Amino acid sequence: MSEIKVVTNILQTNDEITSKNKKLLDEKGIYVINLMSSPGSGKTSLLERIIAKLKNDVNIAVIEGDIYTTKDAQRIEAQGVPVIQINTGGACHLDAEMIRGAMNALTLDKLDLLVIENVGNLVCPAEFEIGEDIKIAVLSTTEGNDKPLKYPLMFEKSGAVILNKLDIIEFTDFDKEEFYRDIKSLNANADTFETSCVKNQGIDEICSWLMSKIQNKKLEVK
Amino acid sequence: MHEVSIIQNVVKIVSEKAIENKFTKVNKVSLKIGELSGVMPESLNFAFKSSIIDTILEGSTLEIEKVKAIAECKDCEQEFPIDHFNKICPCCNKFCSSIISGYELYVNTIEGD
Repeated sequence: MSEIKVVTNILQTNDEITSKNKKLLDEKGIYVINLMSSPGSGKTSLLERIIAKLKNDVNIAVIEGDIYTTKDAQRIEAQGVPVIQINTGGACHLDAEMIRGAMNALTLDKLDLLVIENVGNLVCPAEFEIGEDIKIAVLSTTEGNDKPLKYPLMFEKSGAVILNKLDIIEFTDFDKEEFYRDIKSLNANADTFETSCVKNQGIDEICSWLMSKIQNKKLEVK
Repeated sequence: MHEVSIIQNVVKIVSEKAIENKFTKVNKVSLKIGELSGVMPESLNFAFKSSIIDTILEGSTLEIEKVKAIAECKDCEQEFPIDHFNKICPCCNKFCSSIISGYELYVNTIEGD
């Protein structure tokens, strides 16, 4: 019997593809968002609002991750931007290989912003890098302010956190003070936003923040 | 529940390494899993038992070593233990985002004949 040192990253294959995705996206100067949340928190509604506001100024494309159906992709398509649907067929997250396939189906030249809407799930998507510049977590007021503590990895790894459905917060017991305290303990550097997609509130703030991120990425390339 | 896909990667990595080293049988697989990785050892054990059937790993045991989460303060260069909810440097009381261990997910060693 003999022992052999292996010391190999279990997600090595995913990480290698991630690097290739990232290299290509960086070369093209495309800012890439990995948008994550639980099902029904408003990822697609937020995207609809953001696209409507930004599509005249920047070229946007969306990769939609869903277990089944093309419902979200149809909503994005109605906004008039290119969208690629990935159906994972049961898998709980998107991985780098799926993104590579979707990237091949997109025209990357002249693209400024690529949003990857991950499968609705607060657990697994946080563990798989796919080539993004930033992870953004969305939480809605109806889910409760305890979620960052219950699902720490996602909020810890997110560079920005969006609190959505603010218009109905008064009908919930959502404690904003506690929420922000928990977010800060997980990641003090995260940018935070408050939105209501129904009332179209808070979208301008996110869009101007996004514009500066997109411009910075372009500058890095030049 | 992606512990199954993690274990499938482990089986692939170990099988390749075992063949490379002319093993006919793998007896033990040791993983290092960071405290912050979000991966449950219990689920890995369960997935391992069912995924190694009919592979060179069949009959082997899985050993999981937890790796402590440690951060290094950029200001005072001190290393200190952290968890998800506490990453404050005990020395200068500042939030620290330079995490040096805790997210590990790798195959460390294998034993075989």
